[in-house]
Amino acid sequence: MQMLSFLDTFTAFPLAELEVGKHFYWEIGNLKLHGQVFITSWIVITILLVASILATRNIQRVPQGIQNVMEYALEFVRDIAKNQLGEKEYRPWLPFIGTLFLFIFVSNWSGALIPWRLIHLPEGELAAPTSDINTTVALALLTSLAYFYAGFSKRGLGYFSKYVEPTPILLPIAILEDFTKPLSLSFRLFGNILADELVVAVLVLLVPLFVPIPVMLLGLFTSAIQALVFSTLAGAYIHEALEGHGGDDHGEH
Amino acid sequence: MFDFDATLPLMAIQFLLLMVLLNALFFKPLMKALDDRDSYIRSNQADAQERLANAERLAKQYEDELAASRREAQAIVANAQNEAQQIAAQRLAAAQQEAQAQREQAQRELDQQKAEAMQSLEQQVETLSRQILDKVLGSSVG
Repeated sequence: MQMLSFLDTFTAFPLAELEVGKHFYWEIGNLKLHGQVFITSWIVITILLVASILATRNIQRVPQGIQNVMEYALEFVRDIAKNQLGEKEYRPWLPFIGTLFLFIFVSNWSGALIPWRLIHLPEGELAAPTSDINTTVALALLTSLAYFYAGFSKRGLGYFSKYVEPTPILLPIAILEDFTKPLSLSFRLFGNILADELVVAVLVLLVPLFVPIPVMLLGLFTSAIQALVFSTLAGAYIHEALEGHGGDDHGEH
Repeated sequence: MFDFDATLPLMAIQFLLLMVLLNALFFKPLMKALDDRDSYIRSNQADAQERLANAERLAKQYEDELAASRREAQAIVANAQNEAQQIAAQRLAAAQQEAQAQREQAQRELDQQKAEAMQSLEQQVETLSRQILDKVLGSSVG
């Protein structure tokens, strides 16, 4: 009992609190939406669009300022797509993979850098959009759709041959793969980002000053890595569907 | 924590919209800018290489011309030296000839004058000897 009351004084401390699993619901008709996810995702989308417009408003041959930054970002995502898909195939898939990376990256870093929790909502709290399972599953399912689309548009119904290609014995595993891919993609991203936010929140709860900083820096690092991993794996899956040599998984991170 | 609802499809649609917008606002224009810059740099580089080759060719040509004209100049100098030596030799020979001729003429004149002197002396020898004879023998003969 002594211990519990001790904890109670901590939770009464107003600097930080943990609210996992509570959502700020919006209702449209009889649909329920997680309002806090949409608010932060709109902010992320606004950041991306404003940066893009500023960068491309006045394109110079010798890039300066924001154009330089965005060109660096573009070259970065282009290298991701090029490394996975190859020089010939990457162009049509660059917007998808690049948008995946930029959206996830800016979402993750917004969760780590913007003090969302200072803005109070009636229920739930603002956090990175990628710390909500709906967002990550949506992105993972889009990735699945993208690689199915890539396979069908490239090879038509011959795409199905990859399920029985080395040997039909592996057919169940090949089918299972189509389910594990989005599952692992979405849960990896969701788990990493949510865990990072929880660790930071718990540490802030315990020691509000200085101690959480190394964990926050680690959070920045893992956030960036997760964005890179998600977009790289999306590129790898699309490449696999285009090339059609099944079973060549690029490893789970 | 794992409560799926309408957030999922709406988020997917939102992401697709973002992709379309970013494609129009970000990927296309900046990729075009990168491609344009690449082709600009490539054409400039080709141009510069061509110019460099041209300059090297010109330099080589000029060097060749320079060597040729240097050889020519040396030839001209050698020629002129040759001619000068020839002229000098000619002049020397002519001068020597002339000197020889003058000496011979002087010798001839000398000889002639000597002969004339001898001749006039010979004429005078007779009269003188007669006079001497007269003086010596005059008294006895006379």
